Amino acid sequence: MIAQWKEIWQFRELLWTLILRELRVRYKNSALGFFWSLLNPLVTVMVMTVVFKYVMGMQIPNYSAYILVAYLPWTFFQYAILDSSQTIIGYMPVIKKIYFPRELLPLGATLANLVHFGLAMGVLFAYLYLIVGVPLQWSLLWLPVVIVSQFLLTLGLSMFISCLNAFYEDVKYLVSVGMQLLFFLSPVIYFSEQIRHTSMIPEAQRESLFWAYHLLNPVATLLMAYRKTILPPIHVEQQNPAMSAGRVVFPDMPLPLWLLFVNLGFSLLIAWLGMRYFDRKKWGFVERP
Amino acid sequence: MAAPEVLGGASAQQAPPAIQLEQLNKEFLLSHQPYASLKGLLLSFLPRRLEHLHAIKNLNLTVQAGETVAVIGKNGSGKSTLLGIIARVYKPTSGRCIVNGRVAPLLELGAGFHPDLTGLENIFFNAVILGLSRKQTQERLEQIVAFAELEEYIDAPIRTYSVGMLMRLGFSIAAHVDADILLVDEVLAVGDAQFQAKCYRKIQEFQTMGRSILFVSHDMEAVRKVARRAVWLHQGALQADGSTDEVIGQYLQAMNTPA
Repeated sequence: MIAQWKEIWQFRELLWTLILRELRVRYKNSALGFFWSLLNPLVTVMVMTVVFKYVMGMQIPNYSAYILVAYLPWTFFQYAILDSSQTIIGYMPVIKKIYFPRELLPLGATLANLVHFGLAMGVLFAYLYLIVGVPLQWSLLWLPVVIVSQFLLTLGLSMFISCLNAFYEDVKYLVSVGMQLLFFLSPVIYFSEQIRHTSMIPEAQRESLFWAYHLLNPVATLLMAYRKTILPPIHVEQQNPAMSAGRVVFPDMPLPLWLLFVNLGFSLLIAWLGMRYFDRKKWGFVERP
Repeated sequence: MAAPEVLGGASAQQAPPAIQLEQLNKEFLLSHQPYASLKGLLLSFLPRRLEHLHAIKNLNLTVQAGETVAVIGKNGSGKSTLLGIIARVYKPTSGRCIVNGRVAPLLELGAGFHPDLTGLENIFFNAVILGLSRKQTQERLEQIVAFAELEEYIDAPIRTYSVGMLMRLGFSIAAHVDADILLVDEVLAVGDAQFQAKCYRKIQEFQTMGRSILFVSHDMEAVRKVARRAVWLHQGALQADGSTDEVIGQYLQAMNTPA
C-alpha cells in the first residue's frame, strides 16, 4: 500500500497531466466551458424544486438551496465513479504499450471530478452568501471532514468498479442502474428527517430505521452532513392537498458527530480495500482472458 | 544546452547492458468467448474453455547499451510480446527481465491521443507518459512540432489530422523524450518517403548518441538499413541471433521452404 502511493507520488506529473486532460475535455466544445457544465445541475435542480414545491407540497424557504447542497456532492459521486469505470478500457491502447501506475487512471478521473466539484461548490457558496444571504455557521468547520470522507469513499469504489469493468463488460450497466437506485435511496430530493418521522411504521421502530438507513448507506450520511454543515437547520413542512388535508412537520435533527466519524472510518476502509483490490488485479488488464 | 551532456554521461558509463533477458517465459490464457461478463460468470457452471499460449519460450538475450537489435519473425512469433515485457506492460511468467535506463516505445497511431484535444495538448500527455516532466516538455515543444512538420495545425484538434500527421507527431514525441532505449514496432511504414528518410536519420542520430534501439519490422530492407545485429523469433523461441545479413538469410530461406 505504501509502495503503491509512493509510486503514484513519483508519477505525480503524469497524474496532474491526466487531471488537466480530463478537465480540458470536459470544458471543451463550448465557449463558456466551466459555466456551461454548471447548466445541467442547475436545470435539474430547478425542475426538482418546481415538482417538489408545487406537486409534492414541500414548504421550505430556499428549498432549491437545500437540494443543491446535496445534489452537487451527489453528481461528484456519480460522475467520478462513472468516469473512472471507463478509464481502463478507454486507455487500453496506451496501457498495452507502456508502463505507468494504472492507479493513476481512476485516481485522475476521481480527482478531476473533485476539482470540478470544488469549482461548482465555489459558485454555490457565492450564491448562498452573496445573493441568498445565508449566515456563516460554525459547523462549516466540519465540511473538510465530510469532503475527505466522500473523496475516500468515491476513490475506493472507483478502484473497484474500474477494475471490474475492465474484466466484465456488463458492469457498466449494473453501475448505472445502481446509481439510479442509490439516488432515490439517498436524501437529495427529500430530507433525512422525513425518514426519522415517517408515518409508515410504528413510532417505536422509527429511530432504529433512521440509524440503520444512515449506517447502511454512507452516501445518505454524507449528503445529510453536507446539508447540516452548510445550511441552517430547518423544520421540513409538507402540505399536499392531494394526499392529506393536514400539514406534516418534520422537526430538524442535528448532525451526530459520531456518525460522521463512523462514516469517515468506513470510507477509509473502502479506499484501502479498493486500492488493494486494484493492486492485485492491475497486471491482468492487458491479458484478460 | 543541458540535454547532450546528460546523454554523454549515459553513454560514457557503458557498463551495464541496456536489456538483459534471462530464461524469460510468458504464457497467456486465451478465451474463446466473445467477451466476458458478470452474467456469463454467474451462468457458467462449466469451467471456461481456456487455451494456453506460450508466447515467449526460455528467451535469453542481452542488448548492450548503444546497440541496435532488429527483431524479425512471422506474425504471432512473440515480437510484440517481447517489446511489451521490456516496456513493463506484461509481467513475465518466469525468468528475469532487467532493463537499465528509460524505455520509450513508439506509441501506435493514436494510442494515447485524445481526438478532441489539440495537437499541443496531446503532446503534453504523451511526452509526460514517456517520462518527461511538464517543464521539459515545454522546453522541447518547438522541436517536437517542427520535427513533425505540424506548425500550422498544432492548435487544431487531433481528430482533424490525417493518419500520416498522427504518425509524424507520435514519432516526433518519442524521438524527443531522451529515452535510453527506444522500442520501434513496425510504425514507420505509414509516412511518406521523405518523412521516412527523416525518421531513419533520427534513428542514426540515436545510434551515434549511444542509445539502444529494439527494432521490429517485416521490412527486411529497413532492418538491413538500421541494425547490424538481428534476432529471429520463431513461436516464441530464439531461432537465430547474429549479424543482420546472416539472420535475414536464414529467415527468408525458412520462409520460402514449405514446412
